[in-house]
Amino acid sequence: MNAILEIKGLKKQFGGVAALSGIDLSIEEGEILGIVGPNGSGKTTLFNVITGVHKPTEGQVSWRGRDITSLAAHEVSGAGIGYTFQQAMAFPGLSVRENVQIACEHARRSSRSYPWTTPSALLDFVGLTALSDEQAGILPFGSLRLLGIALALATRPSLILLDEPAAGLNDRETATLVGLVKQFPAYGISVCVIDHDMKLMQMLCKRLVVLDFGSKIADGLTQAVLTDPKVLEVYLGGAL
Amino acid sequence: MYNSLSPIRSLIPVLVVLIVLALVPAMGPSNRMLSLAISAGINIVALYGLSVLFGQTGILSMGHAALVGVGAYAAALLARDTGIGFWLALPLGGVFAAIAAAIIGIPSLRVSGHHFVIMTFAFGQLLTIVLTNGGDYTGAATGLDLQLPVNFFGARADDLMPYYFVVLAFVTLSAVASWAIINSSYGRTLRAIRENEKLAASLGINVGRQKIGAFVVSGVFAGISGVLLAYFLRHISPSQFTSFPSIYLALMVMIGGARLLLGPIAGGILVAFLPEVLNLDPVESRILYGVCLIAVILLLPNGLIAGAIDGWQKLTRSSTRKHPGTQAANAEHASEAGR
Repeated sequence: MNAILEIKGLKKQFGGVAALSGIDLSIEEGEILGIVGPNGSGKTTLFNVITGVHKPTEGQVSWRGRDITSLAAHEVSGAGIGYTFQQAMAFPGLSVRENVQIACEHARRSSRSYPWTTPSALLDFVGLTALSDEQAGILPFGSLRLLGIALALATRPSLILLDEPAAGLNDRETATLVGLVKQFPAYGISVCVIDHDMKLMQMLCKRLVVLDFGSKIADGLTQAVLTDPKVLEVYLGGAL
Repeated sequence: MYNSLSPIRSLIPVLVVLIVLALVPAMGPSNRMLSLAISAGINIVALYGLSVLFGQTGILSMGHAALVGVGAYAAALLARDTGIGFWLALPLGGVFAAIAAAIIGIPSLRVSGHHFVIMTFAFGQLLTIVLTNGGDYTGAATGLDLQLPVNFFGARADDLMPYYFVVLAFVTLSAVASWAIINSSYGRTLRAIRENEKLAASLGINVGRQKIGAFVVSGVFAGISGVLLAYFLRHISPSQFTSFPSIYLALMVMIGGARLLLGPIAGGILVAFLPEVLNLDPVESRILYGVCLIAVILLLPNGLIAGAIDGWQKLTRSSTRKHPGTQAANAEHASEAGR
């Protein structure tokens, strides 16, 4: 296996609170990695530190062997890491097409052949072509999530970080999402996804990492992790 | 749907208004009306810059008159010390104001929102203090006189009538430049920052640099406006560029509507002529502006023109009884339609 992203000893303090207390993690090329954990376990903080939104207190993030720990958010995107947000997924006052157009205009240059280089191709892929003249702010939640994914895809990432992509989606929309995300590795995009939805994680991820109070408590094949007593204790209070 | 409105078509309403304004002198206006119109036009040039900053990028500057002042003082000092005249002073004034904007913007735009507003306010006051204490060089509180003529192909263009056309030409240039920015990928980048800075950064946009860039661009407009002002008034002093005129500029752009191409023209004309039309004294007109500003912020956040378009659309839509959701959506579209 070939790790594209490697995290070593990552710590993040917010005042007296340790949101991340020394995390080691690697994301392999071409995999769909899931990260789960109870609320406040540090999942989103982990993404924010990787993507340059927050600077870590300690530790290192390497991207294809290059230290990217101190890069600003737009530089991380330029290096090939795309991400979607839990909230505020799109530019609400602009049309759907304009949203995607902006993302395409700032896409990094990359020599690899990529299927989603135009707004039309992206809107077509996520199924929003019919809504392209609508204002993003009035889209139903499910469509907004898909638009957020289209924006991240437009940056031509080699790794995409999805922060609770299925939150607020119904079963049909979740199935659509799974169908889309599963295609990413075939186009050279590795995926790291945060979610609470274990069904979604089982559908998407071969490997699962569990965080609790800012520490990694499990890392392995999804089925094995989900039956790990330590994990069950975190999620079900050990009652199983 | 506003995408069906092609970029060229969005320019038409402004061009129509400008043609009408070009015909005004033919109606034989009084000198007072003409000079009010010139002042309004000079403000409108600066307002177009402010609309790029506030309307597109979502950054409000409360020190914009200071940048106008940089342009005005540049014109006066260039004329006095180097003999550089009107036409060369225009681009140079723009450049000086742009440099001033960069110097103010680089530290100030590290903070955002209200903090930035306070920073620009403070810089505006600082410039006044510097100019007032500049001794003979800046003419201190008395200010500077400007004596060089404005020539246009050998003919004098200082008189009200020809100068009106000079200013109108720059209003037209500003409107077209603003239109070109709005419809370019650069304009989209600025709107992305206005809508969601974090998301913009995640798409690879260098938010900090772009915000400073937008401030610099708005500074160019302000500087040119300052040169026009200096050559119109022939005498400039620090008190013209304090935070009060800055607030007026912000007020004008909000009343007219910062996101619409017609907004700066509407705001500039309304604020210049309303007291005249209603025959108000300066104190009354200040009260009126205050009331207008509060009313616009509360009732018509996108400005008067957008409010009028929205109102018209609601009126025509309600007769056809459309789905309420789409109706609201279309009204929203209309507010950005004329961009």
